[in-house]
Amino acid sequence: MTYQELWQTVLAQIQLNISPANFATWFASTKIASQEEGVIIVSVPNSFAKEWLEQKYNKEILKILRALDASIKEISYQIDFPAAKIREPIKQPAPQELPVEQLGFAELEIDKETNLNPKYGFQNFIVGPFNELAHAAAEAIIKEPGKIYNPLFIYGGVGLGKTHLLQAIGNELSKKNPPYKVKYVPSDKLISAIVNAIRNNSIEELKANLRKVDVLIVDDVQFFAGKEKTQEEFFHTFNDLYQRGKQIILSSDRPPKAIPAITERLKSRFEGGMVADVSLPDYETRLAILKQKTMEKNAEVPAKVLEYIAANIQKNVREIESALNRLLIFQKINNKVPSFEEAKKLLRNIIISPSKFTNPTLILQAISEFYDLEDKNLFYSSRKKEFVKPRQLAMYLLRKELSFSFPAIGRKFGGKDHTTVMHACHLIDREIQENEKFCQEVDSILQKIYTLEA
Amino acid sequence: MKITLLTKTLKKGLAVVEKIAGRVSTLPILNNVLIEVSPNFIKLSTTDLELGAQWWGLCKTEKDGKLTIPAKFFSQLVNSLNDEKIDIEEKNKTIFIESKNYKTQIKGFSTDDFPIIPSFSKDAFIEVNSKKLKDGLSDVIDFTSLSQVRPEISGVYFSFGSEELKLVTTDSFRLAEKTITFSEKKEEYKNLFKKEINFILPQKTAKELISILGDTVKNTRIYLSESQVMFETLLQETDHPEVNLVSRLIEGEYPTYQEIIPKESQTKITINKDEFINQLKIASLFGGKINEIKIKANAETKELEILSQDPDLGESKSNIAAKIEGDKADVSFNWRFVLDGLAKIKSSEVFFGLHDNKGPAILKPIGDASYLYVVMPINPD
Repeated sequence: MTYQELWQTVLAQIQLNISPANFATWFASTKIASQEEGVIIVSVPNSFAKEWLEQKYNKEILKILRALDASIKEISYQIDFPAAKIREPIKQPAPQELPVEQLGFAELEIDKETNLNPKYGFQNFIVGPFNELAHAAAEAIIKEPGKIYNPLFIYGGVGLGKTHLLQAIGNELSKKNPPYKVKYVPSDKLISAIVNAIRNNSIEELKANLRKVDVLIVDDVQFFAGKEKTQEEFFHTFNDLYQRGKQIILSSDRPPKAIPAITERLKSRFEGGMVADVSLPDYETRLAILKQKTMEKNAEVPAKVLEYIAANIQKNVREIESALNRLLIFQKINNKVPSFEEAKKLLRNIIISPSKFTNPTLILQAISEFYDLEDKNLFYSSRKKEFVKPRQLAMYLLRKELSFSFPAIGRKFGGKDHTTVMHACHLIDREIQENEKFCQEVDSILQKIYTLEA
Repeated sequence: MKITLLTKTLKKGLAVVEKIAGRVSTLPILNNVLIEVSPNFIKLSTTDLELGAQWWGLCKTEKDGKLTIPAKFFSQLVNSLNDEKIDIEEKNKTIFIESKNYKTQIKGFSTDDFPIIPSFSKDAFIEVNSKKLKDGLSDVIDFTSLSQVRPEISGVYFSFGSEELKLVTTDSFRLAEKTITFSEKKEEYKNLFKKEINFILPQKTAKELISILGDTVKNTRIYLSESQVMFETLLQETDHPEVNLVSRLIEGEYPTYQEIIPKESQTKITINKDEFINQLKIASLFGGKINEIKIKANAETKELEILSQDPDLGESKSNIAAKIEGDKADVSFNWRFVLDGLAKIKSSEVFFGLHDNKGPAILKPIGDASYLYVVMPINPD
C-alpha cells in the first residue's frame, strides 16, 4: 500500500467521527511523508495542527494504521510548509491604467538559487530571422539539455536579447519536472567570486558549488579576456560539467574566435558545441517587438508612429523600448495619444543622435590629440610606427563615420592610392576585432570626436 | 469556576486577546475565548491558528475551572461595565457575571474542541527592552510587502546580533532598516542562545505585538521553536507571564538586503524635515493619479526644487534652501513613498541621498545612525 493509500484510509475513517469543520481544519494538507522502522512520519501544515493531532487524534490514527499494517508502532508529526515551498508563479503585474513605472529593487526579483530573473521568459521573446538560429538551439536544449548542443554559445551586439534568451532557457529548465538545477552567473560576478575565493582560500568550495549544477549559464564571457586565473578555473569547471553531460550556455558580444586574450584551449571548448549569433532585427521584427511592447504596457500608439520608430531605430532593441516609453510619458502627461508630428518631435533626439554630426577636421583633431601628434603629422608619408597607426585609423574613421569614398580619402592624405586606404581600413578593422586595448582606444577617440563637437 | 477580579484587569485582558478571535470562519470554536481559572490567576486564550494569544491576570479564586464563550460578545459586555469589581461563576456551561448593580449570564461551550496553543521550551530565550522593541517595530512595520507572491518579504525581518537587533522590511520599492542598540548597564538585552538568531515575523503578528507591548516596562522575552516564535511579557506585580503571543514564522530566507542599501550617494542633500514634508504635501496635490513628483537638486543654487504637474488641475513648483553636495539631480518619485519614510524620522534635519534618476535614494535622520529608509524612483523613460 502506498503512503497515499494508507493516509486516505485514515482520512476516510476519521471523517466519520468528527465534524466537517474540524476535519477540514485539522486534516487539510496532511499526508504521510515517510516511514522508518515502524515510525510513520505525518507532515502537517502548521504547529497548531501538530499539537492537535498529537494530543487528540493520535490514538485513533494509530489504531487505524495498525489495523492496516501491524508493524507500525508509532506516529511522529512534522511541520511542513506546503505553501511556501511551491513558489507561486510570479503573476504579470496587473495592467495599469497609465504606463508609470515605479522602479523596484532589482536584487529582490532575482531567484536566490538560480540567479535568474523570472521576468525573462519565452512568452515575451520575439523570434525573427535575426535570432531564429539561437532560438531554435535554445528550444532543442530545453527538450534535452546536455545532449545536443553543448556548449551553446550565443553572441551578438548590445541590447539584442542575449541575456533575455539565456535567462529564458534557464527559467524554462528550472520549471521542468523534475527541475534542473540551474545557475546563471554574469561573468563579472564569476570573476570577482574567483578573486575573493582565492583571497579567502575557499576556491575548492566555489568550484564544488559550480559543479553541483545541471545547467551553468555564463553571460558575457568576453570579460574573461586577460583574466588568466579565472580562465583556468573556468576551464576545469567546464570540463567537469561537460564530461558529466551537464549543459553549458555562454554568451558574448563577439564570436569565440574574436575574443582576445583567451587561451586557445578555452576558445576551442567554446566553439565545440553550437555557436549561434543574434544579429540586428529587421524592420518587420522591430515592428513586431514594438507591437508586443505596446501591448504589454497596455498602451495605444498609432500604427504610423510605430512604423516610424521601427524604420528609424535599427541597432538596438533597448533604444526601441526607450523611444516607446518616451511616447507613453507624453501620453501620461498630456492625456492624449501623440500625433505623428508630435511623435516625430519627441523622438528627435533618440533617432537623430548627435553622433551623426561630425566632420573630417574634428576626426583628425581628435586623433592627433589622442596620440599627442601635431595635425600635420598625420599627413606625413612616414613609416614610423607612431605615425602609421594614427594615419590608418584616421582613414578608417573617415570611411566609417563619414562614408567617404576610398579615393577621396586617398586624395586627402596626399594622393595615396585607394587600395592603400582599403588596406588601412582592413588592418584597423582586424585590429579592433582582435585587440581589446586598441578597441578601447578607438572607443575613447570616438567619444572625443563627439564631445569636441559638443 | 468561581472568581472575583477587578473589572479593569479583565478589560485589559480582553483587549489583548479579543482581536485574534473570529478571524477564521471555518471553525466556529475560534470565535470563542478560552477562560481557564487556577489559584490566583485567570487565563484567557484565543487563536486563529496562525497566531495565538494567552493572557494572565490576577484574581481571587474560589474554585478552578474552564470554559469557552464567544469572545467579541464577552468583550462588549465587560467593556460596558463600570463597577470596580466583578464576580464570575460557571455552572452547567453557563457563565454568571455579577457586579454591584448588574447580573448577567452567558452560555458557554465545552473546551474540548478548543485548539491547543503550541508550547515552547523555556530553556533558552532572548530578552529585549520592550519599549525599544515596540518603537523599532513601529518604524518599519508599514513597509512590508502586502502581496503573498513573495512570502519572505511579507514580514518583518529580525536579526539579533551580539549586541544589537536589526529590524528590516521591504515591499521591493522601498526598504526600512532599524538598528536597535541596547545599553548593557540597564540589562536591556540578553541572548541565551549565544548565537545569531534571524527570523521573519508575519506582519500581522508584528502589529499585534506593537499593541500588546503598549507601555510594558519589563523586558520582553522571545522563545523559539521550529517554525514558531513566542513573545512573552511579564506581569508588573510579579514575574508571572502576562501575555504569550505565539505565531508561526515565515519560512524562507530573507533577501540579502544589504546589497540594496546604497553605500554612497551622488547627490547629498541635508534639509529641514518639516519644511520638506510641507512642500511635498503641497506638491502632492498636483501629483495626479500616479502620485508623481519631481525633485531637482543643484549644488550651486543650494536649492531643492519640487515640481508636480496634473494635466487637469495645474502645476506646482516650490524651492527649499538646502545643503547640497555632489552632482545635479533630477529624479521622479511617488510622493507617498517619500512622505512615508519622512514620517518615521524624528530628527529635525534629514539627509536625503540621491543616486541617479533610476537608482535608489536614501533618507536618514541627521545625528541618528539607527534608522534608514531606501526608496526607488519612478522610471524617467
